[in-house]
Parts: sequence; structure tokens; C-alpha cells
Amino acid sequence: MSILKDVLLELFSMFIADVRLTGAILATVVISALLIDATRLPPLAGGVVLLLGCIAVLFLSVRREASRKSEG
Amino acid sequence: MLEWSTAGPAVGAAFLASIVEVVEAFTIVLVVATLRGWKPAVLGTGAALFVLAAVVVILGPLLDQVPLHLLQLVIGVLLLLFGIGWLRKAALRAGGIIPLHDEDAIFAKETADLNAEVERRQTSQDWIAGIAAFKAVLLEGLEVIFIVIAVGAGRGLLWPASLGALAACALVLMIGAVAHRPLARVPENTLKFGVGVMLSAFGVFWTGEGLGVDWPGHDLALFVFAALFLAAGLMAARMVRQPLGEAT
Repeated sequence: MSILKDVLLELFSMFIADVRLTGAILATVVISALLIDATRLPPLAGGVVLLLGCIAVLFLSVRREASRKSEG
Repeated sequence: MLEWSTAGPAVGAAFLASIVEVVEAFTIVLVVATLRGWKPAVLGTGAALFVLAAVVVILGPLLDQVPLHLLQLVIGVLLLLFGIGWLRKAALRAGGIIPLHDEDAIFAKETADLNAEVERRQTSQDWIAGIAAFKAVLLEGLEVIFIVIAVGAGRGLLWPASLGALAACALVLMIGAVAHRPLARVPENTLKFGVGVMLSAFGVFWTGEGLGVDWPGHDLALFVFAALFLAAGLMAARMVRQPLGEAT
């Protein structure tokens, strides 16, 4: 059971190492999907939002973790 | 006919990511071999490879049943979660916020942990050592399988990506067999940085295609995404390297 538990924990941590990061990435995907499916904008606009959104999420997440470490 | 603009990034990502994972597994297998001999190390590794092969045999045919756009979307989102997570950690390590991965230190810690486990339990020492090797190879191997599927499945590139991963395994094992010590000189954070960049680029590409985006330049867009993520990762690392007061 310990091995199975470790495997499941590893799989979980592969994708959800940081809850805020995961939430921000999923929110970016949802916004892009809404732009593509629910507006008259060309799909590429949603793609650009996805790309730039993910880059912004990376920046903010690195910055937030750095400030958290420097405060702690 | 295989096009290298398509297959190159998939094979490269699978190769580099597999080097990182195999080096980590190799360190623990080496701990087991050093403490208890090669028999439990090889048995544990062999059992894990058998389980991993079973996972591939069971999952492989299932992938063909999933509609392509859904497969691209699901794998793309998982790649974004995995790739940006790696890139974030690599940027924090490059910026000196969290310590670098040190295979020598991990070797020493795993040796101490395994010794403590052997003393604590009444079961066979070889059994405990074999289980340690089994878990290490299984856990790191699952990550390799995910990466191979993720970069290969959306374009029918599972075989080239698998060959990239196998080449990485062979390379690490050959170097490990010669060096017979933890591969501490592998520039792991640089590799992780590169892999994080490539997986994030694949993630945006697949997610976009899954949502119906027709990327200009098609597969060549991957290189543009990778360049943007690389620049963003380097800038993020540089930003946090400065005192935060100056960065704001």
C-alpha cells in the first residue's frame, strides 16, 4: 500500500506542485477557451492570450515564491 | 516521412527530460547496489521496468480511442501544469532562491535513510533495498512515460519520442557503469530549464490546437513559443536574483 500511495502522491505532485500555479494556469486555459468559443474573435486571439497568459503566470509565480522565501 | 521540424522537438524533449529522471533513479539504484550488492538493485529495477512496460502496453492502445482534439487538449493542459512547474523551479534555482539539486547529497541522504530503514525493520535487508530501487525506478519511469506520451501522442510521434527516452537511459547507464558513482556533474538545472521550456511550448501548442487554434507556421510555432518561454524563464531568474526591493 505504501508503494501505491507513493505512486499516487508522485502523480499528484507532478501536476499540482503548487495550488496557486495550477489554478492560474487552468484559469488562463478557461479564459482562452471562452475567447475562442464564446466570442467572435478569431481563434488565434485566444491562442495569443493562452501564450502570453502562461508566460505572465510563470513570471508572477516565480516572483511570488521569491518574495515568500525572502520573508520566511 | 518524418519531418525534423516536427520530430526534432519531441525527440529532444523526451531525451533531455529522460536524462534528468534517469539520473535521479540511477542515484538511488546505486545506493542500493553499494549497500546491499547488485542483486537487489537489479531485481528491483527489473520489476519496476516490468510494471512500466505493462503500463505502456495497457495505456498505448487506449490512446488511439481518444478523439485527437480531446487528446491534444488534455495532454496540452497537463504539459502546461508539468512544464511551467519545472520552469518555475528551474528559474528559482537559477536565481538562487532554492538550492540546486545535488546528486552527491542525495546519495548520502538515501544511504542514511536506507540504513535506518534496514535497522528499523525485521524483514530481509535485501528485500527493503530491492523495494527502494523498485520505487525509485517506477516513480521516475512514470514521469518519463508521461513525457513521451505527452510530446509524442498528438502527432503520431510516440516511437521517435520513445527512442529519445531510450537513448537517454542507455547514455546514463553507460556513463554510470563507467563512473560507478552518482552523476553529480550532470548540469541538471540547465537540463530542467531546457526541458521546462520545451514542455511549456508543447503545452501551449497542444492546448491551442485542442481548442481549435490554427497556429501560424504550424509546427514551426513551437520554436517561437520555446524562445519566448526561454526568454521569460531567464528574465524571471534574473529578476529574483536581485534584491526584491530593487526589483519592484
